[in-house]
Parts: sequence; structure tokens; C-alpha cells
Amino acid sequence: MNKDHRTDLSDVLRPKNVGAAMKRTEDPRLLTGFGEYTADRKPDQALHMAFLRSAQSHARIARVDTSAALEAPGVVAVLTAEGIAGDFKPVIPFSRMANYYATPILPLASGKVRHVGEAIAAVIATSRYLAEDALELIEVDYERLQPVAHAEAAVTEDAALLHEEAGTNVLVAREFKQGNVAADLAAAAVRVGGRFEMTRKAALAMEPRSYSAEYDKRRDALTLYTSSNIPGIVRDAISESLSLPGHRLRVVAPDVGGSFGSKGSLYPEELLICIAARKLRRSIKWTADRLEDVSSSSQAFAEIVDAEMGFDEHGIATSLQADVIGDVGAFSIYPWTCGLEPVQVVSFLPGPYKIRSYRGAVRGVATCKPPTGPYRGVGRPISTFVCERLMDMGARALKIDPLEIRRRNLVRAEEFPYRIASGIIWDRTGFIDCLEAAAEAAGYDQLRKQQSEVRKRGRLFGIGIASYAELTGIGSRIAVAPGMPINTGSETAKITIDSTGGITAAFGVASHGQGLETTLAQIIADDLGACFEDIRVIQGDSDEVPMSTGTYASRSAVLGGGAAKHASEILKGKIKRVASHLLEANADDLEVSQGKVAVLGTDRTVSFKQIAKAVYSDMKTLPVDAREELTASYTYDPINGTTAAATHIAAVEVDPATCFVKIHKFVVAEDCGRIINPMIVDGQVHGGVAQGIGAALFEELIYDDDGQLLSASLVDYVIPSAPEVPIMEVVHVESESAVSGGFRGMGEGGTIGAPAAIANAIADALSPLDIDVSVLPMTPERIFRLIQNAKHRAKEKS
Amino acid sequence: MKPTKFDYVSPSTVEAVIEALVASNGDGKLLAGGQSLLPLLNFRMARPSVLIDLNRIEGLSYIKDRGDRIAIGALTRHRDIELSPLIASKLPVMSAAMRHVAHLAIRNRGTIGGSLSHADPAAELPMLAVFYDATVLIRGPHGLRMVAAEEFFVDALTSCLKPDEIVVEVEFPVLDHGGWAFEEIARRFGDFALASIALSVRRTGGGLEGARIAVMGVADTPVRLKQAERELVALPLDEQAPELCSEIIASKVSPNDDLHASGEYRMHLLKHLSRRALRTALASTDQTA
Ligand SMILES: Cc1cc2nc3c(=O)[nH]c(=O)nc-3n(C[C@H](O)[C@H](O)[C@H](O)COP(=O)(O)OP(=O)(O)OC[C@H]3O[C@@H](n4cnc5c(N)ncnc54)[C@H](O)[C@@H]3O)c2cc1C
Repeated sequence: MNKDHRTDLSDVLRPKNVGAAMKRTEDPRLLTGFGEYTADRKPDQALHMAFLRSAQSHARIARVDTSAALEAPGVVAVLTAEGIAGDFKPVIPFSRMANYYATPILPLASGKVRHVGEAIAAVIATSRYLAEDALELIEVDYERLQPVAHAEAAVTEDAALLHEEAGTNVLVAREFKQGNVAADLAAAAVRVGGRFEMTRKAALAMEPRSYSAEYDKRRDALTLYTSSNIPGIVRDAISESLSLPGHRLRVVAPDVGGSFGSKGSLYPEELLICIAARKLRRSIKWTADRLEDVSSSSQAFAEIVDAEMGFDEHGIATSLQADVIGDVGAFSIYPWTCGLEPVQVVSFLPGPYKIRSYRGAVRGVATCKPPTGPYRGVGRPISTFVCERLMDMGARALKIDPLEIRRRNLVRAEEFPYRIASGIIWDRTGFIDCLEAAAEAAGYDQLRKQQSEVRKRGRLFGIGIASYAELTGIGSRIAVAPGMPINTGSETAKITIDSTGGITAAFGVASHGQGLETTLAQIIADDLGACFEDIRVIQGDSDEVPMSTGTYASRSAVLGGGAAKHASEILKGKIKRVASHLLEANADDLEVSQGKVAVLGTDRTVSFKQIAKAVYSDMKTLPVDAREELTASYTYDPINGTTAAATHIAAVEVDPATCFVKIHKFVVAEDCGRIINPMIVDGQVHGGVAQGIGAALFEELIYDDDGQLLSASLVDYVIPSAPEVPIMEVVHVESESAVSGGFRGMGEGGTIGAPAAIANAIADALSPLDIDVSVLPMTPERIFRLIQNAKHRAKEKS
Repeated sequence: MKPTKFDYVSPSTVEAVIEALVASNGDGKLLAGGQSLLPLLNFRMARPSVLIDLNRIEGLSYIKDRGDRIAIGALTRHRDIELSPLIASKLPVMSAAMRHVAHLAIRNRGTIGGSLSHADPAAELPMLAVFYDATVLIRGPHGLRMVAAEEFFVDALTSCLKPDEIVVEVEFPVLDHGGWAFEEIARRFGDFALASIALSVRRTGGGLEGARIAVMGVADTPVRLKQAERELVALPLDEQAPELCSEIIASKVSPNDDLHASGEYRMHLLKHLSRRALRTALASTDQTA
């Protein structure tokens, strides 16, 4: 492990940036309060926006009366759907998927409301306080419609329709099939199955969504500062919608305080603030408060999975089938569509395993709740939860150790590339290596011994394993979301050395906590031969590269890193050509490192600064045709992308008195290919696992039968805090991928593995009581119920 | 999430506070630590016309030893109570409970007067006031009145305070505890309790001659279980005692369901805590005896 495969002699001698635990460039400003977030923007004479949000989950809007609000102090405008009807073209989350109905993105509710928290009207005033005062003066008459609060009820005949035009509440339906599942299940030595559920979750980024639309009267131009992680996609969508070309619409994501996916779609408020700024020819700001953020940002999971797995007598999983209902909420999201989360559940369900036959059917069902959208892990937290529970249930039925059954079923090193039953192709990745490394680091055999000891004393101690694989750094051949028409498969790096010798590298990525300013600079420093400190990385600004999307789907290190490597190589060629003039040496005899070019074997050097001077300022040194501008741009497309994998092992104990779960041990062995910065990789794993613990034990958005959100504050929506997150051990299995640089994406994995590992550990702990774990989060209340029911069952038996 | 418009005054005497309350015609709100009030303002659930800040009043923050009573000024911060050696020696149950109150940053601001007036059914200080049989000293336009803690708490988030009154002090009798325990379970460290119990016993020979029990999180106000105290005193102190004690306590409460826990689960927790509390209390008398 951690082996370095580079053999170039000069590589070995030179201090390397890639692979080093360098401190993050962004941290000094972020940790000392000098970050600049969208809410920190101070556009001249800005107005402030506040939203009147629906208190009803499903109702026709009979009347909106804004006249009193318009008269209120400080109010400049009150917007409703009617008032902006001619100011934009609708944005449609289009997809080529069959059986998909695309609901348009509405800046304000029009005709009816479809979830509590949907914006009906916006007040624009000289301060947020006055805007909120005026909201109270808006009158809305609702005609209540039957709420559509539960996905399973929404597919029945007599359910009300959320989108009448669609003719159904099923917004998307899809099926994956391979082999003869029915026959394989019938022939199986053991069949295990159940109904699994992961409830709705909030992403809860520390910074709520925030927008500042800054209007430039001189050019009828707009700059939108947004807490988005897809500023490039937002730019393109708003440009279309407002017929405003890119040279008059700039979208910038400045420092962004987390997203976890919830800032990764185009939002109605984001569109509206641009419409309003242009309409009023004024700059306008809006930042969601926590209540708005929880009740209007895209939410996660909310799926019910009926699944069954068949094994032969040796514990080989032969067949798998699943029917999934995804509660996708009221709207499809742009650009990913409402298919993103639920379809990914069925496409990833077979996981890293060689299961022969498969049938996975999914329906994404509209309900009167905010839309679900991307959330760290997308679909795979639940597909892994279900698949890994089934693996453990099979192991138990066949009396095979859970570690051993995974050894028998994982794709092995010699079998890559491997096409799993749902059609996804895994490239060479350390599946088995991760499993064995995690088992070793956890002291698996010792843990099992410890378990049998403490079980004798009646303690509920359990060990859970979860292995998974994910697709990362996806290129242009695979759509990030099914059938989506926009290109997310490439990334541009534009590196420039200016006349002072300063190096600026611009990307289309939009780091919102991943530390890309650091890692991309590490790559450039090595490949260009520059000093790390001399490189400034610019990202999240649509003006900097011609086309960009952002940071999502674990793509930025792979795509941005690949682009950085290629652009560095091109620029290095230019540098060498100039240096060969200056040093009167053959370009092949030159070595570039630490911002200097040296003639190999001599002490003759020239610095980047001297080179820049020769090219740009000093008109005597170089012949005219040798004065090549020191800039290089490269757009990298890995075509397919690459696999990343990990195994998580958790050891937990359930306290029968309190029904609380204590995590005694948590180990992650992950393969993210060549590591750029181990400290950042560890941080990503830690954060992801913490969120996975939230999904496994704490977090749940609870909606009642009327579609009202009951857990809308942080008192009621419980997230793990520091004492609830254990120290974890992270092992890096560094098997290089085939993409440029050998990197693999790794920003999401923590959240994929942890819920499944903890669920399996709890199930293992409770197995003496014959209890299965099929719903997450496993709150103390749920564990209490399970134990009570098991007691009743035991009593009835005796 | 911005408050409605309000005026702000910060008087330096209690008299001036009462004047301001009277002048506001029942529309004024006192601001102590602000930890409970500010969220209410931001949610526009409280819409006072004037906010009367108590923080500039001198002499409302103190912990005084009055022999058989400890007096705590209304503006005393949770953190000062938590760290007070006097509280640790004279009101040990309170001392043990304080670290369960919220998080450090909140304890640095939150006050005993604010906590009692806010009357959260799952807050520690109201429960301790009931447990100790404390007296709440209230000042209003007509002078001083004293209310027993049990009468002070009327309902969830409702005290007997009139709109023109201010809590100035809370006086706690020093108990001849013998043995005691404070037990609490919260979802996360620092959260409001799912269930909690304070229990103390005085032993004589083989049995008990006195007991005190208060619980919270299981009813609309913190409650002292006097009937359970009497039944507990009558129990023989054998190995059955903790179980029987938990049955006695359980028979006196009927917790409701809420978002965080069902009544049944809260009951399960309370029984567990009751067993543990009695064991701990008895063990601590063994040590002192
Ligand atoms: C995240 C969080 C977690 C918390 N967890 C807990 C917990 O676990 N246990 C717990 O006990 N508490 C908890 N609290 C509440 C905290 O202890 C508060 O500080 C306390 O409830 C109120 O005290 P305060 O001084 O901040 O009052 P304020 O917020 O200033 O006022 C609260 C109310 O009391 C009134 N008031 C204040 N002082 C007086 C007075 N002298 N006379 C009359 N009326 C007055 C105010 O007008 C207002 O109505 C938590 C708070 C937060 C924010």
C-alpha cells in the first residue's frame, strides 16, 4: 500500500506535492473569518428579498392579494407568478428516459401549491426585516386539495394527482433486467429478503442557500453570486431562460459552506432573483434562514425497497430482485431530474458483487414534499444498505461468516473490467484488497472472539461490514443522471503565467469544502515544475473558462486533475522552448522544477519570472516568433470514468436499558487510486462517515399525513454532534486507476458505506433476539419497539 | 426569520424594569440570557413591543449562603451555578444536574430566572426548584410575592408570572440528603432530557425515614412525586427495592408521545433511571454513614 509507482529518476529526487499531506490553502481565510460567502457580498444599494411560502401541502391558489404589502414601508416590489409571467422561459429538466414526466422549474407557485414551503410570492424591500414585515400583509386564499403525503398511497387509483397534466403521480419508472431471476431464485439453496426503508433526510449544509444578483445598469448585465456547487450549469440555464448571453451573465460561486448535494440543482429562488434584479434594474440579495433551507432545499433518500436475494449452497449470490418506490417530492429538479436518486438505487443495487441474474424496478412517485435531489452518495447509500443487509442475511442463513461470504462474491482482481448485472462496468479496483485491509485493521477475528465472550454475559454487541463500489469522475459516455442532455463529462484547466511570473490556474469546478484549491495546485506544482505557493487556483466562476458545470458526483479530482495535468504539460513545453533560447541548451536537456528551469548536470538556471520577462516585457532577448504567450488550456474527458470502492467495518453495542447505540469501532479501507493529499482524503472520509452515522442513527425529516413537516428545526431534526461521532481509522488502498493521474473520486463514499455497516452491526448485535434491521435511521425509539416486539414474540412462543 | 419591530430599553434597577413593564401594558418582554427568547422572537412567536434588557442591573447575579437556605439571584448564569463550590456542597443534586443543561456556550449566557420563567417541562432548573421545594421571589408593581416552585409552574411553557412581574431570586432549602442521585437521558449530549429523575433518601437502621423524588420530561411541568416518596419510604431495602421503586414511580406518571419519543419509551427510560437512581442514592448513604 501507499506504494509509489513512478520510476522517473528526477521524480524520485524532487520534492513531490502529490501524495503529501499539505495544509489546505483555503483554511487560513476560512478559519479566521476572512472567507467571502455569498451573504458577505455588499452590492451597492442592494435590495432584500423574502418569500411568502405555502403553509398548505396541496392546494389551489384561489387568490393572492399583495396590495397591502405593496404599501408597507420599504417595499419596492411584490412579485407573484402572474407578475413575472413574461419575464423568462421555463426551465425544464429534460431527459431522454422513457416513462418520465418533466415538471418545469417554477420561480413562484402558479395555480397551485404542491408542498409546504413552496414560494408563492416574493417581497423585495430595502431590508430583510421590512420585507418579512410585508410578507404578513399578503393574503392568500387556498382551496385545499387532498394531500399526497405517502408515495405508496400516491400510486393507488384514488390518490389525488399532484401534476394533473402528467396523468399519474409516477413521474419516472424504469426497469433493469438481466438473466432469469425467477428461475435462479427458484433454484436457490437459500432466499432472503425484506422490505427496507431509508427515510427522508436533509442535507443541512452549514451555510444555507444564498444568492446575490448584482445588476450592472451600464451593460444590462448581471452577476449572480450563488452558494451553488454547479455555477456553470446555473449560468447556462439562466442564460437560456432570460435570453441573456454569457458575456452579460456571470455566475460566481465564492466560498461555499458545504452543499452535500443540496446546492447542486438550479433553484426557483435562484432563477427568480435574477428575473427580479433585471426587472427592477437593482441588485438583490437573499439568504435562506434555517427553516427555509430545511423546508425548501432538495432532500435525500426517501425510498422503500422490497428486495430478495438468492444464494447457492456455497454462499454464492446468484440472483437479486427489487422493487423500489422513491418518494421524489413535488417536482423534478434541474438538471438531474427526479430520476437521479431512485434510478441510481436500482442501477447500483448489485454493488461490487458478481450476481448472475437481476431484476430491479423503480418508480419515482410525486408527493407533496420538497423535491429529493442529489445527496452525498446518491442512491448508493440505500442500494448498499439493502444489498449488504441481504448479504448478511444470506450469511446467517447459510452459517457462513459475513467476511467470508463477501470474499466469495466480490469481483476479484483478475476479473476486471467487470460488468455487473445492472450494466455498470467496474474497472480494476481493490475490492478484495479493501475488504481484507478493513478486516485486518479492525482486528476482525479478535472482534468476533470478543463478541462471543460478551454475548455470554447478555451484552448486545455486533459487528457490521459493508463493501461498495461507485462510479466516479464520469466522462462524456455516461450521463451523470439518466438521459440528461447536458455534458458533465469534461473539465477545462487554463493555466497562465503572467508578466510577473505569477501562475493562475482557472477551472470550471466549484469546490465547496473539498479543498480543490489545494489539491489542484499540488498537481500543477508537480506537473508544471512550479512551487506550490506560486499557484493560484480560480474556480467557481463562469467567466474564467468557456464552459463549466461545477463540482458534484465525485468528479473534480479526476476531471479537474486530468485537465490540470494535460494543461501543465503543454505549458511546460512552452516554458522549455523559451528556456532553451535563454539558456542556449537543447530543450531535452532541461529540467523544470520549483519554478526554475535548469540545464541538467550544470548549475545554469532560469526562473519562471525571468522567462515571463523575456516573453512579455523585454523585447530584446527573444526572437518575435519565440514569444509564445505562457498560457495553456486543456479540456479533459475521461470518457468512461473510474470506479472507487471501500469496505467499512463497524462494531457497536446496543444498550437494552436505553436502546441507544454506541459505536465502539469504525474502520474504513478505501481505494481512491493515487492519493493527492492524504489529509484531505481522511477529512472527506471522516465527514462522509459522520453523515452516514446521521443517516444510520439520527436524521429524519418527519412529515405527517397532511404533508406538514414536523421536524423543521434543529431541535427536532437531530444530527450527530462531535460526541456521537467516534474516532475512526482510515486505511488507504492506493491502486491506481486508468485515468490521467491514476486518481479516483472519493468525496461521497463515507456516506455510502457507513449506514450499511452500522445497520449490519446493529442487526448482528440484536440477532440473539431474532431482530432484523430494515429501516434507517435506527433511532432509540425504533430499537425500543423492535425489542418490545421481540419480547412479545418470545412470550407467545413459550 | 427576523423579529418584528420592537423598542429596546436597558434599565439599571428592578424598579425601573417594573415601570417599563407597566408602561408596556403587558406587551413587554424581559431579556435575560436570551437563549430561549431570541429564537421565539426570530420565529415571530413572541412579538413584544418593547424588550427590557435585565443585563445592566447590578446585584441580580449572586449565590448567597443563608444557613439553611441558598439564595440565587435571577440573573445568575447556569455556568456560575455549575462551578460554584457552595452549590456543590450545599445543593449537590443541583450541582450534578447543571452539566446536563444545554452546551457550554448556552450555559455561559442562560440564567436561572430565564429558565424558570420559560418553564420548559424538560429543563433542569425548574425540576430542581420543584425537587428542592424552592421559593420563587417575584417583584411586581404591588411589591414582592413569594411562590412555591410547585405552584409557579402551571403548564408547559407557562408560569404563574403576570405580565408586569419579574423573578428576582430563587431560594433553595438545604436538604438533609443522606444519599442522592440525579439521572438523565438525552438523545445527544446537551439536548433536552428524554427523561430525568432527582432522588434523595435518608436512612434509618434498616429502612428509610425520608425520600424525595422529582421527575421531568414525562409531564407538562416538572413534578414532585409525594405519594411515591411515601410508598418508597415504606419499602423494605432488599434487592427488590430498585425494581419496586421504579414500579412505584411509573405508576404515578403517564408521559405523552412526541416527536422524539413515545410515552411508552419514555416510561421505559424513566423506570431504568429510577432503578439506577435508587441504587446510586443508597450507595452514597452507605459511604457517608
Ligand atoms: C440549543 C439549546 C439547548 C438547550 N438545552 C437546554 C437543556 O438541556 N436544559 C435546560 O434547562 N435548558 C436548555 N436550554 C435553555 C437555556 O437553559 C436557556 O438559557 C433558559 O431556558 C432561558 O434562560 P435565559 O436566561 O436565556 O432566558 P431568556 O431567553 O432571556 O428568557 C426566557 C423567558 O423568560 C423571561 N425571563 C427571563 N428572565 C426573567 C426574569 N428574571 N423574570 C421574569 N421573566 C424572565 C423572558 O422574558 C422570556 O420569556 C437550551 C437552549 C438552547 C438554545
